[in-house]
Amino acid sequence: MITDEQAAVRVRHLSVLRGDYLALDSISFDLLPGTHTAIIGPNGAGKSTLIKAILGLIPKTSGQVLIFGCTSKKLNKLRQGIGYIPQKFPFHGSFPLTVAEFVGLAVPKQGWLLCSSRAKRRAVQQALERVNLRHLAKQKIGTLSGGEFKRVLLAYCLVTPRRLLVLDEALAGVDQTGEAEFAALLALLKEELGWTILEVSHDLDSVKRCCDNVFCLNRKLLAEGCPHVTLTQKNLQQVYGGTHEPTRLVESF
Amino acid sequence: MNLPDWLSLFSLPFMQRAILGGVLFGILGGLLGCFVILRRLSPFGDTVGHGAMLGVVLAASLQLPSTWGLIGYTVIVGVAVTYLIDRTNLGSDTILSIVLTGSISSAIIGLHFLPGYRGNLLSILFGDILAISNLDLILLLLLTGIILAFLLVTLPEQILLTLNADLAIIQGVPVKLYRYLFIILLSITIGLTVRVVGILLVNGFLVIPAATARLICQEFVPFLATSAGIGGLSGVVGMIISGTFDLPSGPSIVLVQLGVFLGTVLLRRQS
Repeated sequence: MITDEQAAVRVRHLSVLRGDYLALDSISFDLLPGTHTAIIGPNGAGKSTLIKAILGLIPKTSGQVLIFGCTSKKLNKLRQGIGYIPQKFPFHGSFPLTVAEFVGLAVPKQGWLLCSSRAKRRAVQQALERVNLRHLAKQKIGTLSGGEFKRVLLAYCLVTPRRLLVLDEALAGVDQTGEAEFAALLALLKEELGWTILEVSHDLDSVKRCCDNVFCLNRKLLAEGCPHVTLTQKNLQQVYGGTHEPTRLVESF
Repeated sequence: MNLPDWLSLFSLPFMQRAILGGVLFGILGGLLGCFVILRRLSPFGDTVGHGAMLGVVLAASLQLPSTWGLIGYTVIVGVAVTYLIDRTNLGSDTILSIVLTGSISSAIIGLHFLPGYRGNLLSILFGDILAISNLDLILLLLLTGIILAFLLVTLPEQILLTLNADLAIIQGVPVKLYRYLFIILLSITIGLTVRVVGILLVNGFLVIPAATARLICQEFVPFLATSAGIGGLSGVVGMIISGTFDLPSGPSIVLVQLGVFLGTVLLRRQS
């Protein structure tokens, strides 16, 4: 039995109403530190809603969410330990901000000084090196491809130490090579630095390869556990519907 | 105009106040305008600026100084509009249109019942930078200092919440507080600028220098500095043109800003 403080994320009876629609119905689970967990489910299952409700980006109707034992209002400095890559990141292409400036925004402020310190510049360079994008440091963010920008977002998460990384379909738009590099980097972050990773994914093969746990969601949490045990034909048909199989299901079984 | 006349004109205290005012308004408009265009708030500037007419009418009805009437009204409207946009699903353009037409209608009806001469009230449409008083300048200097300090201290957070509010929330940025503080400072600036350049031109001060800087800058801090520089310089040049050729001041400044914008567009096309 783990305590509130031991769980990286603890969700209890979480429900979210969007208008009159019950998007999430009494979800409960624990996310253990240093694990990689995927949320799968069909479109409209409430995957992004769950992530946003956990992070406090949308109001919950009922239930409790604890991150590192704290409610979202009491997270304070622990917030710096949360990285998030959203599904969509709309901005105008002419936004006057370079890749290095953007990644630097994640570095916690040292006092009230505006000028960037040497340590901050070094941290930005190292984060960009880890995602193989150092050569784009001076480029405007609006000129990047979708896949490059996803890697910049990962650099934004890497530039400061995190404990929890939340990814909402982070690999959408990333090419195969980038996808493999991305997965290898996530594994490294989990194994070497003990990061807890929670991601929304549609790629069941990747979930089976990389994740320790999987949550099967369709407004309710229908199944959870180790991917090799949980991703059964029966469970998947229950999540995705009896007549509809997800694209990758055929490849997986 | 010969040189001695020209020198004596620009040595007059009201002219010097006007030039200083033009520079400060230009700098303020340039700085805030960067966030106005990136946050797509230019219709907000128009609504608060045009709606300021009701502020003047209310101040005249209550026999208050028009500066305080304008500032009070623009701040109330700015906060109310932001609150309504947050609280309803109607969309910002709808809320802004409702507030704009509501304010102008109320102002015209209010004007109808106001006794006495209304010429001064109507001058708010076009503004008069030459009428800038010492009190206006003190307020303007104070406001410039507050806005510079606010932006200097919160710049990374302001950039982040402009780019993506969700990332800012997760990083612990008090997004709502910063948004409202920005709207209050912007509303005060619009309230003061309206007296100088008029309701019809106030948005030019906010939009044109920032749009010009956006065309040429890759990084954020140079973007802010360039926009403020274009705003301040246009203030000086516009006032000199206005004084030399006896032209209306507000439109002269805005036309200089427009000239810089068009010149930048052409130069960029050539390069």
